Amino acid sequence: MIEVIETDVLVIGGGAGGTNAVLKASEQGAKVTMVVKGLIGKSGCSIFASTIPFGTPTPDWLNHDEVSTEERDHYRLEFMVRYYNHYLADQDYCRRLEAYMRSEFFPDLERLGVYWRRDDEGHIQPTASRRTPNLVAHKQGASGPAILDKRRREIFRRDIPVYEECAATSLLIDDGRVVGATILDIRRGKLFAVAAKSTILATGHSDYLATRSTGTREQSADGIAMALRVGAELANLEIQWWHTSDLSQPRSWMRFHLYPNPLLGTKETARLYNSEGEMFFEQKTHSPGVSAPYFEQIRRLCPQVQAGKARWDGGYYSGYDHIPAEITTKHQHQAQVWRKLGLDVGEDRMECGITWHMRQGGINVDTRSMQTSVPGLYLAGGIGCHYLGSIGAVSFDGKVAAEAAAADDERRKPLTEQIVAPEEKRVFGFLRAEPDGPRPMQAKLKIREIMWNLGYIKNAKKLSDALDALLSVREEMLPRLALESTSRTWNTGWMDALDVCSMLDACEATVRSAINRKESRGPFYREDYPYVDNEHWLCRNIIQRVNGEWHTRTEPIPLPYLTPEKSREPFFESDY
Amino acid sequence: MSHSLNQTTESEKIRVRLYRFDPAIDQAPRYDSYEVPRTPRMRIMDALNYIHEDLAVDFGYRWLCSTKKCGTCAVNVNGSPRLACWEEAESDMTIEPLSHMPVVRDLVTSRDSFETALSTLSPLIVRKTEYAGFPEPLTAVDMAPTEHLRDCIQCLACQAACPVLDQADSGFAGPALLVALSELAQDPRDGEDRARLASETAQVFKCVSCYECERVCPAEIPIVREAIEPLKRLARPTGTSPGAKRADAFLAVVEERGYANGALIAMRTKGVTLSAIRLAVRMALRGKIDLVEIFLKRASTKVGALRRTYESSKENK
Repeated sequence: MIEVIETDVLVIGGGAGGTNAVLKASEQGAKVTMVVKGLIGKSGCSIFASTIPFGTPTPDWLNHDEVSTEERDHYRLEFMVRYYNHYLADQDYCRRLEAYMRSEFFPDLERLGVYWRRDDEGHIQPTASRRTPNLVAHKQGASGPAILDKRRREIFRRDIPVYEECAATSLLIDDGRVVGATILDIRRGKLFAVAAKSTILATGHSDYLATRSTGTREQSADGIAMALRVGAELANLEIQWWHTSDLSQPRSWMRFHLYPNPLLGTKETARLYNSEGEMFFEQKTHSPGVSAPYFEQIRRLCPQVQAGKARWDGGYYSGYDHIPAEITTKHQHQAQVWRKLGLDVGEDRMECGITWHMRQGGINVDTRSMQTSVPGLYLAGGIGCHYLGSIGAVSFDGKVAAEAAAADDERRKPLTEQIVAPEEKRVFGFLRAEPDGPRPMQAKLKIREIMWNLGYIKNAKKLSDALDALLSVREEMLPRLALESTSRTWNTGWMDALDVCSMLDACEATVRSAINRKESRGPFYREDYPYVDNEHWLCRNIIQRVNGEWHTRTEPIPLPYLTPEKSREPFFESDY
Repeated sequence: MSHSLNQTTESEKIRVRLYRFDPAIDQAPRYDSYEVPRTPRMRIMDALNYIHEDLAVDFGYRWLCSTKKCGTCAVNVNGSPRLACWEEAESDMTIEPLSHMPVVRDLVTSRDSFETALSTLSPLIVRKTEYAGFPEPLTAVDMAPTEHLRDCIQCLACQAACPVLDQADSGFAGPALLVALSELAQDPRDGEDRARLASETAQVFKCVSCYECERVCPAEIPIVREAIEPLKRLARPTGTSPGAKRADAFLAVVEERGYANGALIAMRTKGVTLSAIRLAVRMALRGKIDLVEIFLKRASTKVGALRRTYESSKENK
């Protein structure tokens, strides 16, 4: 039998959710083990964090506009619930999150040495949206690395057992309870198991599941797939955000995002222009109250594409040429992109394309404990269905999950050969080199192409075609996958083969979920149901696979504080 | 000004010679060659991705963000370290793993020695006084000296370029670690003994100020001027390592004489031992050194002006 490492709390994932879960669980006195597919604080999407909301109530020293406390609290909640999550967020969670941000998130990080940008007199410099001040560590566009580097060092300082460049391949289940996971050490090609009293899944989102995506290489939706395979409920997987102002070229820079939201210290925002130079989006004009107008940007791009004045992957432009170059250069990390390409940030525009970005949906969760529908399995971060995600929210999740998981003292049963053996067989089964089988990378490209072609404008026919196409990859390509070599040392093809399994599971669940939701909302547009239907679809759209059978159900979302005004309205007229 | 990039008709091919080595299987490294069509604004990373994706080659390479944040994709291109996601693809590239780090497979190197070394440098601030709560008193002026150092993404390109690290047992930490240490040392909140760490643990005086680290830094950090020199200034007065002693002796000898005198600097650094005397006598007999010049030559006539410069530099500090 493979080697088994024993622990109290197993944390899978090395972004902001995972790092905080590890730190907080260790403070609870639990024995913690951390497993990261990439490198702590370097892989995942937390590193892309740009500006961080302060939380409410905002203290006077941040309140430059002298808005009343009630107004500010209301505005923050409206931002989170209405504009950021299209009413699908857990509102009670949002309230608790705000209190956490102010009282713990910023102090915890500052204590570790994170520098929150100040002026020469020492006043914290918020972003221009004074009603909901956002802060930055270092520079706008560069907060993520500054924050995660400190957490990384703190985890190492505490001597917590960390397995980096080790991919969790499956959750292990015994008598209906998650009891750990199997882990493949990518460098050495060794499979081992971690037996845990409780497991926190913090594998993030922004998955690389479509041809153009902000998701990075390792983000193959492993968390969603692993949860699906142990029968966990997944909710609102179809509420997938798109970025509209990411670079078209070079291709690897499709993750460089030109912020539509205000530049730090100014009232300026980026604009979008079609191929004829006509401006079709400016936040001040088209989305004045919304500080993260991503759903509005793509909704305004849609008619431009239909009129032939833009393409989804290019042919339209964004930039800061209406803003003095000194301001952009001083405040924003992104100005370096122009400089590197030999362009003038004060004059030149960048060609943009859309990218598959964060996902509102994820694993169904009780936000009081961050417990999933499967005993022993907790989650933190973008992998959940409760909130779209931000570096602060996922840190909060990490703390809540750590406290609940550390207190979950269900006696650990020894892992048996019977529990582990099937996974051992599956993982090593991919380690074969055949001369004429498809390479795993080819299957990955095919899956991304299917999801890309499904795209923004969906309908029943396109969804059903996408599902058929995914099933044919599963049936025809997956069994024949062949690697360049059978070496166990950093075998990229082997990793890709495991990614293919995760991607197929996650994409199939996503498409099935989209088929179920018969309305349009936020970033989710079905041309056959072009209206927001709050009467029937203001709910968690839940999907689950048990013994190979798909089950669906819906669960209404409680609306303790904010309720949409209309029960039904045309999609292109709604403002959330 | 804007123009579409996707309509390009360029048919230029890029030639890539890729280092391949799997220590578990291969006796020795080899190079495989590929042709990659040039795309608009193409980065080195785009060429690597093309080989992996379109040509379906399962070679080992590491990247995690592709936007100059994670610092894990640096490789040697035509002999010089570059961040693959950041630098433009050249038409003829030999791509190899970074130097001074063991190869895991193909382009993937182990970062373990860097992480281990970082852990010996007390890599978080050690507060002089207890944390005062958010927001603690701190200004942009306080943090200005480390503004550029905070841009470091630990891509280790500078470690690969550093010629001092060519000598595997040099004991020198290398530029990336000194950037990390210097950021902490210049943080007004920090009370750790950074001078000792710089001098003894990181051996900062082994830096020869060749500026290779700055040349290759994708974050354009003035590593020598803003990271290493401040550490040397901090560590020199401690005299706790041969490097610090030597730097101190150099300054003192120049102040006295108006020129650098190698033998005097060596004597003041290491002390006058029997073996040093034997060596000096042997060298004098063979005409390698001139004892009269070392001990009896007068100070330079311009030494007065030089000492005034010393004084004013001390006042300005």
